[in-house]
Amino acid sequence: MQLFMQTLVGGIGFGAVYALVGMGFTIVYRTMGLVNFAHGQIAMIGAFLSATFFLDTKLPFAVAAIMSMAATAVVGLVIEGILRPLEARDFDLMLIGTLGFGVVLEAVATRIWGATGRAVPAPVDRPLQVFGIIIRTYDLVVIGVGAVAAVAVWVLLNRTKAGAAMQAVAMDRDAATSVGIRVGRSNAMAFALGAGLAALAGTLAAPLLYVTPSLGSSLGIKGFCAAILGGFGNINGAVIGGLAFGILDGFAAGHFQQYSDTVTFLVFAIAIMVRPTGILGELTVNRA
Amino acid sequence: MTRKAAVTRKAAVTRKAAVTRKAAGLVLIAVLACLLPHQLNVYWVHVADVAVIYGILALGLALTMGAAGQVNLAQVAFFGVGAYGSAILTTHGWPFWVAALVALVAAGLVGLLVSIPALRVQSHYLGIVTLGLSLAFTNLVTNTALTGQADGLNSLVVPPLFGLNLSSDYVYYYVELAALALCLAWAAFVVHTRLGRRLRAMRDDPLAAASIGAEIPYLRITAFVLGAAFGGIAGILYAGLIRYVSPASFSLSSMFFVLAGFIIGGRFSLLGAVGGAVFLVLLREELSNYEAYAQILYGGLVVVIVVFAPTGLVGIVPSITKAIKRRTKAVRDSRSGASDEVQQTRLGAAPYQAVRLTNGGSSTGVADSSAALVVEHLTKRFRGLTALEDVDLLVPAGQIRGIVGPNGSGKTTLFNIISGIYTPTDGTTEVFGFRASRATSYRLARHGVARTFQNLRLFGRLTVRDNVLVALDQSRTVWAWRYFLWPFGVLHADATMRQDADELLSMYGLSDVADSLPGVLSYGSQRRVEIARAMARRPRILLLDEPAAGLNGQEMHQLAEIVRDVRASGVTVVLIEHNMGLVMSLCDQVTVLANGRVIADSTPEVVAYDEAVIAAYLGDSSDDNGSRPAQVNT
Amino acid sequence: MTDGDTRLPGLDPAALVVEDLTVHYGGVQAVRGISFVVGAGESVGIIGANGAGKTSTLRGILGLIPRRAQTLSLGGEDLRRLAASQMVRRGIGYVPEGRHIFPGLPVEKNLLLGAYTRRWRGCADQLAEVYELFPVLKEMRTRLAGALSGGQQQMLAIGRALMAQPRLLVLDEPSMGLSPLLVNDIVSVLQRLHETGLSILLVEQNAKLTFATTTRCFVMDQGQIVKTGLATQLRDDPEVRRIYLGL
Repeated sequence: MQLFMQTLVGGIGFGAVYALVGMGFTIVYRTMGLVNFAHGQIAMIGAFLSATFFLDTKLPFAVAAIMSMAATAVVGLVIEGILRPLEARDFDLMLIGTLGFGVVLEAVATRIWGATGRAVPAPVDRPLQVFGIIIRTYDLVVIGVGAVAAVAVWVLLNRTKAGAAMQAVAMDRDAATSVGIRVGRSNAMAFALGAGLAALAGTLAAPLLYVTPSLGSSLGIKGFCAAILGGFGNINGAVIGGLAFGILDGFAAGHFQQYSDTVTFLVFAIAIMVRPTGILGELTVNRA
Repeated sequence: MTRKAAVTRKAAVTRKAAVTRKAAGLVLIAVLACLLPHQLNVYWVHVADVAVIYGILALGLALTMGAAGQVNLAQVAFFGVGAYGSAILTTHGWPFWVAALVALVAAGLVGLLVSIPALRVQSHYLGIVTLGLSLAFTNLVTNTALTGQADGLNSLVVPPLFGLNLSSDYVYYYVELAALALCLAWAAFVVHTRLGRRLRAMRDDPLAAASIGAEIPYLRITAFVLGAAFGGIAGILYAGLIRYVSPASFSLSSMFFVLAGFIIGGRFSLLGAVGGAVFLVLLREELSNYEAYAQILYGGLVVVIVVFAPTGLVGIVPSITKAIKRRTKAVRDSRSGASDEVQQTRLGAAPYQAVRLTNGGSSTGVADSSAALVVEHLTKRFRGLTALEDVDLLVPAGQIRGIVGPNGSGKTTLFNIISGIYTPTDGTTEVFGFRASRATSYRLARHGVARTFQNLRLFGRLTVRDNVLVALDQSRTVWAWRYFLWPFGVLHADATMRQDADELLSMYGLSDVADSLPGVLSYGSQRRVEIARAMARRPRILLLDEPAAGLNGQEMHQLAEIVRDVRASGVTVVLIEHNMGLVMSLCDQVTVLANGRVIADSTPEVVAYDEAVIAAYLGDSSDDNGSRPAQVNT
Repeated sequence: MTDGDTRLPGLDPAALVVEDLTVHYGGVQAVRGISFVVGAGESVGIIGANGAGKTSTLRGILGLIPRRAQTLSLGGEDLRRLAASQMVRRGIGYVPEGRHIFPGLPVEKNLLLGAYTRRWRGCADQLAEVYELFPVLKEMRTRLAGALSGGQQQMLAIGRALMAQPRLLVLDEPSMGLSPLLVNDIVSVLQRLHETGLSILLVEQNAKLTFATTTRCFVMDQGQIVKTGLATQLRDDPEVRRIYLGL
């Protein structure tokens, strides 16, 4: 039971991280119609920035996280400009183009921070005892922060004018234009939001994994799997898919140890074949 | 000589020149490649050896992704299966070439397994799934004792080959070059004959490809098996060269690396793919002390290529020459005062010569009294929208039937159901007695259903002749075993098909434009190509979806002639049209749809003056605000 | 050059002026150099069969597809260099063909988005007016727009366009897919709006609806205007039917 709960909580913890990656990725897709396979590398940059603020400038973890999110969002605006021409291409080319850009980001990170990577200690260390089961406190922190972020995103999208504009653009670009929404500006903001979420995901993942430039690849792929598993284009789906994938990953690691990746991706492939539209169903973007 | 004739003559001359140039270029490259090792030191020969291996690996991508349009991010896993396969077996004492063969078969089988997701998902979904499977493979070999785990397997045997010393990288280079030449030749053989054409058609437009009989699922499997086979060959050569395999060589970075080479070189070109991969290997080696910069360079190149030159470096030279030609022509035109025609002069088909003879079309004569198409109680609902409601339709064999109705009345939905693109919510369709309601498009094509599309679905990267050739190919996918065991049969069959194609093209007045891409043809000519392609299937029933849209008066006249000749050859024709004039002159019978229901079904004259029909087009006459429409006297 | 914010129609010599408009779309020339005028407070209709170029005309005017024109102005202001998203600020309300409401958002949010260019706090009056015109929308204010019926979505699309207090309301085939009863509702709504002094440009396949709600009409065929006249004249003209049926 102990092991089960630990695995479950750990899985949900990672699930929260994947959900954040998936959410950011999905928001960008829904609003801009851009399938951005460099999204994981953006998360990695956020992780490195947090590590730098936390370990080098000795800022408190939360402050480091917020600063990293802000900085990454700004970087996101620049990246959006570079990737904008890709929106016109078909999905195959978009995939390859953004993969290429991800390689660039990874190399840039290697130049700046080196290839060896850093270990980031968790801000809270003491294990918690819940009903006699020992749970890593940090896992709960991750889940908590993830939940808060998801709620904040919900509020932004559903209770603000800018959020309404983003959703409108996602649903119908031309109609949004005819009510006066400047699609380009809305998309840039959506990308910045996605980048901020990615940075948060990377920051939270830092103490759980080793922060290296290749962190982007693994976070990215798992985040995309989460988004597809939950239903591509569906923001709620990204959350559900993230949690599901995290739990799958956690239990695969628990039962199959080093073979966890093999099992996880095989199960994922089969799940997608059984139900290509994902758990909650996909919401494709109309790219007229 | 008319202007159009001059243009086509010039195009033919240019094409011949291009082919000669290409052949000369190939010979030059081959000669240079053979001479290369003498210019290089030992270190760089080794690099060249690795480059050729990556070239073969990229060739696999060129087949799966470039020719067949299947996103294949598991290519590096096939590479690994080939390498690890031969490594493991030779370590257990198997003779090298036997082990190599088994490893190759294993790679092919893995390719088959990986192709299964491609039957369900495509595009970026498939990208993620195949990427995940790549990771699964790496994870597997990193942890299994059999594969030596993270350390891999080393001290592998040197491949024996007629006493040649293959431990020498110089000698190995020539062996690899021979392998590359064979692989390139075979890949070109596949791409330019019937299987390759089908794969490319599937890539350009899977819907249209299915409508002319391409068995999409089998083709996807074939695409992956082909890519995997080339990956396996590359892997075997790699194990023989480096004689050490470890998971690091088959990581995600390697996958992105070969993908980058493939894209940068040119994803639609076999030589481009090979060249791109070779170029990147050499580049990476040149910048081996600046690894991060090398990565930025090739990653950035990928982005630049995708945005500005999606067909790769190979495609840049023709684009530049085309752009220069356009500029000089514009300058010349403005000087000579030629009119600034908004549409550039597009190539056109020759005027259609009405045939008026039965051309050995369908086996059923016109006198056949059976029903070509029977639709009963057909209903189709999409989420919340009823597109068709209880539609009945009976088309006797040999009739020309018109389907008309205002916008949104369900006409194209009806066609889509008959041709197998949609399944009905309720009701049945039967084509010459065959229960068609839930059959796939390609199955219906085999039962004699052919169609054209409202929005023109030609295979954009195939020439007009190739568009027709794909449709002429009536073989099942399984026929492709001949590619491995009896290539001469393939070539022979292709030659026969070419003759048939030329006849068909000449019949439709398309001989002059046969080698052009559809995009340069005028709209009316493109429509004609689509009809010729549909007729190449020798169908029993032809569905034409708004064939007259966008045609001028003369083209419409020719269309009517074509339709009459098609019927005279024994084919039943059903057409959707908005142009009532055309419908009146062409159709034996007209069915009118409005809001998904049949509101009239009779001869054109009766239908054109039917009150309900007029109301459907012009607006309901239920309000009495104003006088009733005056009785029309012809 | 009149000040664009003038809202008294009487001061504008003409509301919308279109001269020599050409539109290329999908490889064909959809609109071949047409010219027309919609006077201030006038209700004008463009009718024609499917594929005549009516929708391309509207989308061209609004800048949603590339177009060229000798003149394209609203109340004297040149529209040609404006981005499509600026049209609504200049006073054009657009009701697209096929409604194009935002299906995943509630009805009230859809309406508020119509007033995107204004402060949402000050929109209460407009919202009340729209609800008064379309009581059914008030009932369904919290329902997702995608769950509404075709007729209700059409009302929503018109209401959304009205939220920005336009000078000119442009509608593209509002009757498409609607039953005759709902078409009558559209007719009454358009008549009411016309009475308030709003300029209306209506594109329709349904000639009867157009004759009932407009004063002047043009008939389009193959990208050109082939007939113009008063609605009352064209209503009884047999040539109109001939053009529609392509006979």
